[in-house]
Amino acid sequence: MKKALEIALGIVTSVGGFLEIGSITTAAQGGASFRFQLIWAILLGGLCLIFLVEQSGRLAAVSRHTITDAIRERFGFNYFIFLLIILSLVILLVLGAEIGGVCVALEFITGVGFQWWAVPVALLIWLIIWKGTFSFIEDGASILGLVTVCFLVAAIVLHPPWKEVAHGALPTLPASDKAHYWFIVVSILGASISPYLMFFYSSGAVEDKWDESYINANRAISVLGMSFGTVLSVAVLIVSALVYLPRGIQVEHYSQLPLMLIDAFGYWGFILFAASLGIACLGATLEITLEIAYMVAQGFGWNWSENQRPREEARFSLVYTVIIILGALLVVVGIDPLKLTIFSMALTAATLPVAIVPFLFLMNDEAYMHEHRNGFLSNAVVIFIIGMTFVLAVVTIPLEIFGGG
Amino acid sequence: MELIRDCLDKQLIDRNGRKMGKADGLVMLIEEGKRPRVAFIEVGGVTQARRLHTRLAKLVASLSKRFKVDESDPYRIPWSKVVVSGIDVTVNVDAEETPALAWEKWLRKNVIGKIPGA
Repeated sequence: MKKALEIALGIVTSVGGFLEIGSITTAAQGGASFRFQLIWAILLGGLCLIFLVEQSGRLAAVSRHTITDAIRERFGFNYFIFLLIILSLVILLVLGAEIGGVCVALEFITGVGFQWWAVPVALLIWLIIWKGTFSFIEDGASILGLVTVCFLVAAIVLHPPWKEVAHGALPTLPASDKAHYWFIVVSILGASISPYLMFFYSSGAVEDKWDESYINANRAISVLGMSFGTVLSVAVLIVSALVYLPRGIQVEHYSQLPLMLIDAFGYWGFILFAASLGIACLGATLEITLEIAYMVAQGFGWNWSENQRPREEARFSLVYTVIIILGALLVVVGIDPLKLTIFSMALTAATLPVAIVPFLFLMNDEAYMHEHRNGFLSNAVVIFIIGMTFVLAVVTIPLEIFGGG
Repeated sequence: MELIRDCLDKQLIDRNGRKMGKADGLVMLIEEGKRPRVAFIEVGGVTQARRLHTRLAKLVASLSKRFKVDESDPYRIPWSKVVVSGIDVTVNVDAEETPALAWEKWLRKNVIGKIPGA
């Protein structure tokens, strides 16, 4: 019974925490430019994510070590530092985009420019992490995040041609604008397969003291949670295709975003969009900030837990404090949140191999996984994902130049 | 056991179960006429930095000196107090009493501890 509740809560947190500025913007651009044609990219990203999240959770449950721990232990300190520098730079940009998302949501509601909100929002984030416990943060943000289910409701209310939607699940090439099409594919994949999500999930499993008895719960949470989450992303794409495309809007400025829900819900659609964006991005900023701090603390072997008082973990607390300041600075200087989002999602895609390759080795390491090592299917999928991420790493920069604009 | 695979860079856990850093370095003792043996595990920023670059190690050492954080970096734990088990390394010391937490304590005292609610 207790396990069933934990599974339910796990699924709720995965769904409520799934959408963030990256998935919303990339899906919106996809729908606005290519109607339902890019649904396959979201599904592919979601499928990869299910496997990687399941493996992150399984590693943590069996070995009580996070992905970061295991990478440093098996690949050595020098590889860890290399990974840390690359990932934290990319994730920091994503953090800037998410803080920007919260600020933009506040701009929609109050009319006060988004830069002005950066400092208050940063203070709020810092205060929540400083005072809150892990489950308060994770559960609280995700349960509020369930408001994002409104995208699914909107997609149904707008009566899309379901047959055509189903066609979008299979990859097809557009007649024109190929570079832009592939650039959005890369951004969608970068937004779906985000390393911070897997690393955070494994840290969470250790925070929640998972052991081998959680292997099935972990499977249920990752499969169901990520699937429902992916459905929400698809819903954003469907709504955007129906709202933006007929009006010829390409979603090039963040001020175009709140239009998304107006066809479905009228004036309240505007409020609902602002609330969804604000809450989803706030949840993501909390997770990302914590994850960078976790990664540093785990990599250096410090004490780390969001459940202890800051003075018990001074170094951990210092890291997240600095991270929040840096993330907020990106918004204060006025970088356009939408441009920052698209840029950081593509960059995430470009740096995926360094984060994903270790999975193949760790998930087959007997010292960590005992009898719960990867089976044939999981290994085949990881090898496929690694191959795909290498392609992404090579094509991202050229696509950014030719198809990003 | 293999030293590099099973000991180097593994999580160090003190006798109270507290995480106290990682096995940053291994010190071998080579005496004439005897078999070489592992004498210490080294813990500390200087050892970590030295594995990346010698100049970085000098920088960490000088920072540590300037802010009076820790004179004894790197801290050496005698091999007799070390138990390597599976994927963790347990050491029979109390982390709070060792220089392994010098930076942690310095930050607690001078920075984080000064913020309200810490």
